[in-house]
Amino acid sequence: MSEAPVIAVDRLSKQFGAGVLAVDDVTFGVGAGEVCGLLGPNGAGKTTTLRAMLGLIRPTSGSTSIFGTRITPGAPVLARVGTMIEQAAFVPYVSGMRNLKMWWEAAGTNWPPPGLDRALDIAGLGAAIDRKVSTYSLGMHQRLGVARALLGNPDVLVLDEPTVGLDPQEMRAVRRLLRDMADEHVTVLLSSHLLAEVEEICTYVVVMDRGRLVAQGTVAELTHTGTRTAYFEVDDIPRAREVLARVPGVVQVADAPPGLTVELDGPSRATVVAALVQAGVGVETVVQRRRLEDAFVGLVGEETTRA
Amino acid sequence: MISTFRVEMSKQLRRIRTYVALGIVVVLPVIMTLAVKYGERGRRADNPEALFQIARNSGLVMPAAALLFMSRFLLVVVVAIFAGDAVAGEASWGNLRYVLVRPIGRARLLWAKLAMAAVFIVIATGLIVITGLLAGGLAFGWHRVDIELPFFTLHESAGQLVWHLVIATAYVAWSMTSVVALAFMVSTLTDAATGAIGAGVGFYVVSQILDAIPQLGAMRYGFPTHYLDDWRALIVQNSAGADLIRGVLVQIPYVIVFSGIAFWWFRKKDILS
Repeated sequence: MSEAPVIAVDRLSKQFGAGVLAVDDVTFGVGAGEVCGLLGPNGAGKTTTLRAMLGLIRPTSGSTSIFGTRITPGAPVLARVGTMIEQAAFVPYVSGMRNLKMWWEAAGTNWPPPGLDRALDIAGLGAAIDRKVSTYSLGMHQRLGVARALLGNPDVLVLDEPTVGLDPQEMRAVRRLLRDMADEHVTVLLSSHLLAEVEEICTYVVVMDRGRLVAQGTVAELTHTGTRTAYFEVDDIPRAREVLARVPGVVQVADAPPGLTVELDGPSRATVVAALVQAGVGVETVVQRRRLEDAFVGLVGEETTRA
Repeated sequence: MISTFRVEMSKQLRRIRTYVALGIVVVLPVIMTLAVKYGERGRRADNPEALFQIARNSGLVMPAAALLFMSRFLLVVVVAIFAGDAVAGEASWGNLRYVLVRPIGRARLLWAKLAMAAVFIVIATGLIVITGLLAGGLAFGWHRVDIELPFFTLHESAGQLVWHLVIATAYVAWSMTSVVALAFMVSTLTDAATGAIGAGVGFYVVSQILDAIPQLGAMRYGFPTHYLDDWRALIVQNSAGADLIRGVLVQIPYVIVFSGIAFWWFRKKDILS
C-alpha cells in the first residue's frame, strides 16, 4: 500500500461502559481498489470497528478516516460510502423501492440516484420491489440491503456479513459483484464468518480476536506456514492421539470432537489414515482444511465459547 | 433539513397507525355530538361538562367540549405516540443506523423528527376542533350563544366563538409540548418505542395526580397540567385570564430541559441497534 489508504483505522479503541473493551488499539488501512476481509470470531470487535468507521459509535480513543477525512457522525464523506451493517433493516410498512427512495432523499439528494438500475438488478427482486418490506424473506432483505449500499455508485463499500441469509446462487452473485466493484477501483471492507468467501474474494485480510488485531496481510502472507492441516473424524480420540504422536511429521494434534485437527509437515493424509486404521482406530471422515481457515484457527484458536 | 423532515413526514403518512390514531381523534367528537343531541341533558351549566350543555345552544361550542374532554387523556396518548416512536421506533426496526450512515447530522435528524411530532400535535388538536365544528354545526347550527340563567349568563357572537376556538386550539396544542418533549427524550434513550410512549403518558398522568393534591401548595403551579383546562374561560366566561399566559410559560422549562437532554444524549450516543 504505497498510496495513502482509503480507509484508515488508527489506534482505535472502544470501551463500553466501565468494563468491556470491545476494540483495543487497532490499526490498519485499506488501499484504493482493495477488497479487505475483516475476520474474527464472535465478539472479536469487528462490528464495533465497522460502526466506528461509519460514525455510529464514538471511539474511546484513536480515530477512523475515509479518504483522509476523520469520521464523525454524519460526516460529509459518508456520501461516498455504501454500507450494510449486520442484517439489512428497513421501514417495514413501505415498499422496497419506497425505502430506497426515502433513504436516499433523507440526505437531501435527488431521486433517482446514479447506480439505481444496477442496484435493482443486483437486488433481483422484480415486482417484489414494490411490495411492503414486511413481506420479504431474510434473503430478500439482504438483497435489498446490498442494493441500498450500491445506490449512488459509492467509492467505498463497508459490508458486515453481506451474504447472511442468501442462497448459494445469491452468494455467488454478491461475490462476483464485489470483485467487479474492486475492478472498478471501489474499495471494499468486508466482514465475514465465511473464510472460504474471504479467501476467494479478498486481496487483504485483517484478523481480530478479543478486540485486538492479531494479524494482517495478504491471504498468501497469512497462509504461508509450510504445513498443512487436515481434520480426521475418528471413533476413539484418545487412542488416535497416541497413534498420531508416533507418526513422523505430525506437528500438532488438537481435539475437535468428534475428531482431531492435525497439522502435517510431510506425511500425506493417506499415511495418517493407514497408521490409524492399523492401530484399530476407525476413521469416518477426512477433510483437508482450507488454508485460510488453518491460518485463522492458528491465530485465534479452536475455542467456540469465550468469556 | 427540509428533505429530512419531508422523509419523516412521509414515514408517518404512509403508516396505518397514523390514520387509526387520527381517525379516533375524528370519530370521538362526532360521537360526543350525537350523545349531546340525543342523550340525556346534564344539570349544571358551570361544571366541566357545562360545555356540552352550552353546545346545545350553538354548534360552535361543540369543538370546545370535545377539546376539553380529549385533552385530558386521549390527545395525550396520540401525541405521545408520535413523539415516543420517533427515534425508538426506527431503532427497534434496526433502520436508525442506516439513516445515520448517510451524511445527515444527528441534530438535523432530531430536528426533523421533533418537527414531525410538532406537526402531528397541531394536526391532532386541529382535527378535534374541525370535526367538532362540523358535527356541532350540523347538529346545533353555527350561531351565537345567548344564555340567561339565574347564576350563569353568556352572550358570545359566532365570530368571538371562532376566535376563541382558534386560541384554545393553539393553547391545548402548546400544552402538549411538555409531554412530547419528554416522550421524545425517552425515545432517544431507548429502543423500545412503547416505553417512550408510556413515559410521555405517565408523565402527564403523574402531573395530573400531583396537581390534584392541594397540600402540595404552590408547587402545583409548576406542574405542566396545572393550567391545562384554563382556556375554558374563553368559551364559558368569554374572557381570557392571566392563567393562559402562565399555562403557556409553564411548558417552556420542560420543553427546554427534555429537548436539551434529547439532543445532548443523541449526539453522543453509540448507535448499537
